[in-house]
Amino acid sequence: MDRNLPAGVLGAGTMGSGIAQVLAYSGYDVQLWDLSKEQLDQGMERIQKRLDRLREKGRLSQAEMDQIRSRIHLTPQLEDLAPCEWVIEAVVERLDIKRDLLFQLEKIVGKQTVLATNTSSLSVTSIASSTNHPERVLGLHFFNPAPVMPLVEVVSGMRTDVETVQCAVQFVRTLGKDPVKVADFPGFLVNRIARPFHLEGYRLVGEHVADRAQVDRILRSAGFKMGPFELQDMIGIDVNYAASVSVYEGFFHEPRYRPHIKQRLMVESGSLGQKTGRGHYSREE
Amino acid sequence: MKNKVLLVGEGPIVSDTMTFFQEKGVEVVTLEQADNAESDITAVVDVITGSVDHKREGLIQAVKMVPVDCPVFTSALYAGATRVASWLENPERVAGFSPLLLSSMDRVEISRPLQAEESLLWEQRVCWWKQWGKQVEILGDEPGLVFPRTIALMVNEAAYALREQIATAEDIDLAMKKGTNHPHGPLEWADRIGVDQVVWILKGLLEETGDPRYRPAPLLRQMVYAGRLGRSVGQGFYRYQREEKEPKP
Repeated sequence: MDRNLPAGVLGAGTMGSGIAQVLAYSGYDVQLWDLSKEQLDQGMERIQKRLDRLREKGRLSQAEMDQIRSRIHLTPQLEDLAPCEWVIEAVVERLDIKRDLLFQLEKIVGKQTVLATNTSSLSVTSIASSTNHPERVLGLHFFNPAPVMPLVEVVSGMRTDVETVQCAVQFVRTLGKDPVKVADFPGFLVNRIARPFHLEGYRLVGEHVADRAQVDRILRSAGFKMGPFELQDMIGIDVNYAASVSVYEGFFHEPRYRPHIKQRLMVESGSLGQKTGRGHYSREE
Repeated sequence: MKNKVLLVGEGPIVSDTMTFFQEKGVEVVTLEQADNAESDITAVVDVITGSVDHKREGLIQAVKMVPVDCPVFTSALYAGATRVASWLENPERVAGFSPLLLSSMDRVEISRPLQAEESLLWEQRVCWWKQWGKQVEILGDEPGLVFPRTIALMVNEAAYALREQIATAEDIDLAMKKGTNHPHGPLEWADRIGVDQVVWILKGLLEETGDPRYRPAPLLRQMVYAGRLGRSVGQGFYRYQREEKEPKP
């Protein structure tokens, strides 16, 4: 893990800019790529806002903040990622776009460069197979917000090399994060095992065993920070629904993952949680 | 009125329940101790685990010891309150409850059997739990209630993932703690609650709903066959140091 070599991030959206910030904070020079200058500027603005907040809280000095900023280089040209030892792709969650981007990138970077995808719902194996060397492609699944959440799922595709995985585990540790190794199955670990937390909540309410506030209160009383409904209001009911559908489809409609009709209705009605001002709690019952 | 409960059941869940009541200053008698009909018992608390027939026999025996209007709080982990109430005379005296985390939770989950739908007396009986320091959440009647059902399904999912070798047990638990802020990983939860309890919850849900989503993972069943029930026996998904024995003289 040579911190003198730059790391690349593709995509300056929420996840991409967050990952770029994590890398820069840990001492890596970052080449942050996106299609247009406008998107890059927006990404940098997001980073700046978060750094400002850290400085205001006294967790970062002005000098440290300037240094972190100076490590992030914006570029709309993939060629600028040529010297990178690590590239993390965090563009829009579409298989064709991710595959195409890695196919192009492989022609630019060195043979040793590890190509990582931050996908949360697509097959790492499929993304990897767009390249000539899928053995150096893997998933590095950061959680939102990346600068705050400590976990990174290190996902091995079918053809990912064991050594690549070991290197990635070390790399994640240099970022001050906790890596877990996981095989390329739908939902990986967190999104899959958290499914019942949300789905049983919907079923309990649908079957009139409990109302939403009761489910949340009981699970908080058992030690969870939040119950499923207040958590969904925070992360987005649409985001949670998309995760449910993706795991269900990924497992060929295994009944354990069957989403609940109420999830779809909430999304269709535009009740997406805090971001829309209407969710499980904010509307009149 | 003096507080005295007749506690029926076996295994670690009995000692946990007994500890809870004793800490609240409630006198606890077991079936063995209560060989004569005791008219001063204020409630029967049933945490029997095992086959439904076994549970029914235990309960029928227990209610013989108490007055016919004595409330019966039955663990609703796998047999719902309505089903349990159907075995007893005066079924509206029955309420389901969750015995899991009884000491640490500030709330108790209580389920109402269909037979007590219109009983005002039922609500008064449930008030015992307020006296025992709990806020009461009254729920509809399905096995597993809220917390036991939720945790059992997460454990089940984690057991499938472990058997499929998606990740190690340690990584599965770490992922849920660090990736979504759960207080314990699902496999740690299972070892605390008891792998057998988790399987009973799943079986109860499967039996009552017929929905295949509640099928217990084969690994969980095998762990029960092999006696790997969790912390209480020193081995579950993890191994535990047995408590130090008294040094030999």
